[in-house]
Amino acid sequence: MTSDRTKRIAGGLAVGVVGLSMSAVGLSAPQASAADPVVFTVGIGNEVDSFNPFLGIEAESYEMWALMYDSMITYNPADMAPQPGLASDWETSGDGLTWTFTIRDDVTWSDGEKLTADDVAYTLNRILDGGPESATWGSYLTSVDTITATNPTTVEMRLSEPNAVLPLLPMPILPEHVWSDVSEEEVKSYANEGDVVGSGPFRLVEGTAGGAMYRFEVNPDYWGTQPKIDEIVYTVYKADDPMVQALKTGEIDFAEDVPALQLESLESEDGIQTVLGSSPSFDEIAFNAGSVDLETGEPIGDPNPAVMDPAFRYALGFAIDRERLADRVYQGAAEPGDTIVPPAYSTYHYDPPEDLAWSYDPDRAAELLDEAGYTMGDDGLRTMPDGSEIGTLRLLARTESAESRDTMRYFEEWLADLGIESDVTSMESGKLTNVILDGEFDAFQWGWYVEPDPDSMLSYMTCGQRGNWSDSWYCNEEYDRLYQAQHSATDEAERAEMVKQMQEILYRDAPYLVTAYDEIGEAYRCDRFEGFVPQPDPGGILLFQYGVRSYLEMYPTTECGQTEAADEASSADEGGLDTGALIGGGAAVLVVAGSVVAIVLYRRSTADRRA
Amino acid sequence: MSTETSTLVAEAESGPRPGRAGRRRSSEWRYVGSKLLGSLGALLFVLVFNFFLFRVIPGDPVRTLARNRLVSDKQVAELTQTLGLEQSLPQQFLTYLQNTFTGEFGLSFRYRQPVWDLMLDRLWPTLLLVGTSTILASIIGVYLGMVSAWNRGKPLDHMSTGSSLALYSMPEWWLGLVLMAVFAVGAGPIPNLFPTGGLHSSDVDPASIAGVFDTAWHLTLPVITLTLAYLAEYALVMRSSLLDEMGEDYLTTARAKGLRDVYVRRRHAARNALLPTTTLVVLNLGFVVSGAITIETIYSIPGLGLLTTEALETPDYPVLQGTFLIFSAAVILANLGANLLYSWLDPRVRT
Repeated sequence: MTSDRTKRIAGGLAVGVVGLSMSAVGLSAPQASAADPVVFTVGIGNEVDSFNPFLGIEAESYEMWALMYDSMITYNPADMAPQPGLASDWETSGDGLTWTFTIRDDVTWSDGEKLTADDVAYTLNRILDGGPESATWGSYLTSVDTITATNPTTVEMRLSEPNAVLPLLPMPILPEHVWSDVSEEEVKSYANEGDVVGSGPFRLVEGTAGGAMYRFEVNPDYWGTQPKIDEIVYTVYKADDPMVQALKTGEIDFAEDVPALQLESLESEDGIQTVLGSSPSFDEIAFNAGSVDLETGEPIGDPNPAVMDPAFRYALGFAIDRERLADRVYQGAAEPGDTIVPPAYSTYHYDPPEDLAWSYDPDRAAELLDEAGYTMGDDGLRTMPDGSEIGTLRLLARTESAESRDTMRYFEEWLADLGIESDVTSMESGKLTNVILDGEFDAFQWGWYVEPDPDSMLSYMTCGQRGNWSDSWYCNEEYDRLYQAQHSATDEAERAEMVKQMQEILYRDAPYLVTAYDEIGEAYRCDRFEGFVPQPDPGGILLFQYGVRSYLEMYPTTECGQTEAADEASSADEGGLDTGALIGGGAAVLVVAGSVVAIVLYRRSTADRRA
Repeated sequence: MSTETSTLVAEAESGPRPGRAGRRRSSEWRYVGSKLLGSLGALLFVLVFNFFLFRVIPGDPVRTLARNRLVSDKQVAELTQTLGLEQSLPQQFLTYLQNTFTGEFGLSFRYRQPVWDLMLDRLWPTLLLVGTSTILASIIGVYLGMVSAWNRGKPLDHMSTGSSLALYSMPEWWLGLVLMAVFAVGAGPIPNLFPTGGLHSSDVDPASIAGVFDTAWHLTLPVITLTLAYLAEYALVMRSSLLDEMGEDYLTTARAKGLRDVYVRRRHAARNALLPTTTLVVLNLGFVVSGAITIETIYSIPGLGLLTTEALETPDYPVLQGTFLIFSAAVILANLGANLLYSWLDPRVRT
């Protein structure tokens, strides 16, 4: 009986194997033909949260809106300076109170209607009016009083006081004839999916917010550079490893946000190009510079008096080995950091002079601490200037970020080397936010993403943001004065100078010790697509930038590094997703399932007969 | 036996004795009724509890959604109003009850869509993946358990018990990644047969015949992974309950009647041994909707489990309330089902 059964199972397996090898044949069968559309497939790690530009907040959503709609300006990849978009030109009056934008006259919506200055004024006014629209985009229109379309190609903006952030207007411009039917109440849940009317280079044809796949088709009537790809498909991968595997098998052409270790494993793969691009963000160790009750001005929370002293904080800047953090904690995917405006924004980034700049120098840190009165006691621990104990500093890290936890563990060691006791606690960022607002901490690790205009980042460090976005409780009147001055400066060089002075103040007072500018890993099939434009250029990321330049410039190819002119070959082979593979795979599943059923049925019938 | 006597006494006192069938039916209804009431009570408790549970977990949805984005107090206030969080807690509770009973569960904070729509989108992949795996695992598991109990101590038993235990103790995600590395990426002579993830291809309409095959093709690896991982639970329970039955006298009697071994096993022993396994299967069906987060993650199948864990980050109260209510309802229903089924299979539990 046993031998009997083994034979039957072996038979079933044989059928299965035949099925599998059939499917393998299906996989290798070439399916591509000249008429196939050029599909660019991108693996991303997160869902789009809304296709409605007034609601979403995820980076993925911003990317999709940029494909569907145009904005007033685009960015120069080299220095992130504003460049013409829908607005072909702009000028400002001498006092900075009137801005006049000239709108292109050759743009049509995808339903054939003409895009005019009225659409622009409509969209901007909707934001200016308050309501859910202003939550996302309102900060770009601070001190703007009125926005009017004076003729079909001109938009005039009047301000109550100058606003240095202009002409930075990154909001997507929406068609008035569609959105005027969506009331302010309805906009809170308006999905903006299905047949979306837009003016951008691509149109959404499939996908809903929160879904796992989004498909875009090229807009043949696009006014700008016509893209050289016909479709973009975004696939959501909830884990990094499968995304990397999918890139290897060719199921996707581009993998966004690949961790440094995975990126290394891809470097040796044929036909895959990896990129480590600088992203405009920084990570920092922040101190409690003095938490107070904003109404009474009384101190709240329980910060250690040491971390409230700028001299103490500045000295600790020399205790941090930023190279080592970049190397060990970020696995190489970071550059050592210094100020809150990343170097990618070269116009505004402040380079500390050598005598001020932090380097890893524990002796200097010890010297500075001695000078400030934090001298070494008999027990090998430093004391406060009045001779009392410093106690244990509470270092908080975010549970969900390995970088956060590891950075703080290193910091704990470096503090111990200096004779300062500390203790790391990890908590969820939601909890950490509450702890920060209560002032019950000494230091924590977090980071910020910085927009092309540093204004909002600079504002987070002002006195007025304490209890709101300021997480260090830092307050400096001179800094606040400069913030106001730069915000309404009309001369760009003058403004840049003030922005740098502000960074210098922060550097000396050290509410933040900026540890790293992190970098984003990307990888793509260079045997299928080339021609991406990095942002910033050079050294930047290739997709998920401000604007859609890369999608317009990239082109299909058959060989890595090939220029567009040299590439007249037929479209790249479509890999594992063709119909042959499908039918083969499906057949294999059927055959395996069928043989299992057959075995069971056979066994049952014989058993019954025997019984 | 003692309860039987006491009812007899009670009924003798209270008048004419009803027929045996009538008495049985009324006790059956009483049993069903009490179980139904209990389930309803549990559901109501969960309904109220859910609202407060998520409001005490740390994290402020407005701050999470606004970080790095909204600069002014005015913008933050607008967002608070959009989310409906400016209302007082009792008012929010009323809105929540109203939303729940109108069947929409309110709007998700993150996706700004009705929670019900979001859940429906995520429910089918989960049911398909975890439901199929649970059914496959229970069928194969029960069969394996039966065979190994019957061949207790023989190599077949050792092999089946050993391998199902080994699979059970492997982390699901690890097993999934290994299967993916071998069958989706290709290892050595094995070509890449299956996709690395997703529910269907971008160029196929999931409602068409080709789409059904395409979905089956995409789900093959994750379903195999989960089936292998779930197998041991059923196999071991079935094995031990069948072993309990094997010493029983009625089996000896059956054999003495000259019945074949296979027939004795299947018609006599297995039927009685199926009771605990049935309960296990029905109870586990209640957990199907909560999904298999790790497998959903590595195979990029957007299910309800993933929706819930991600909603915790915000925290997205409406989504959490909706999904937890569904999860609880499924478990409560499965429990009820198990109770009723059990009482039907084994009348002893009713009294």
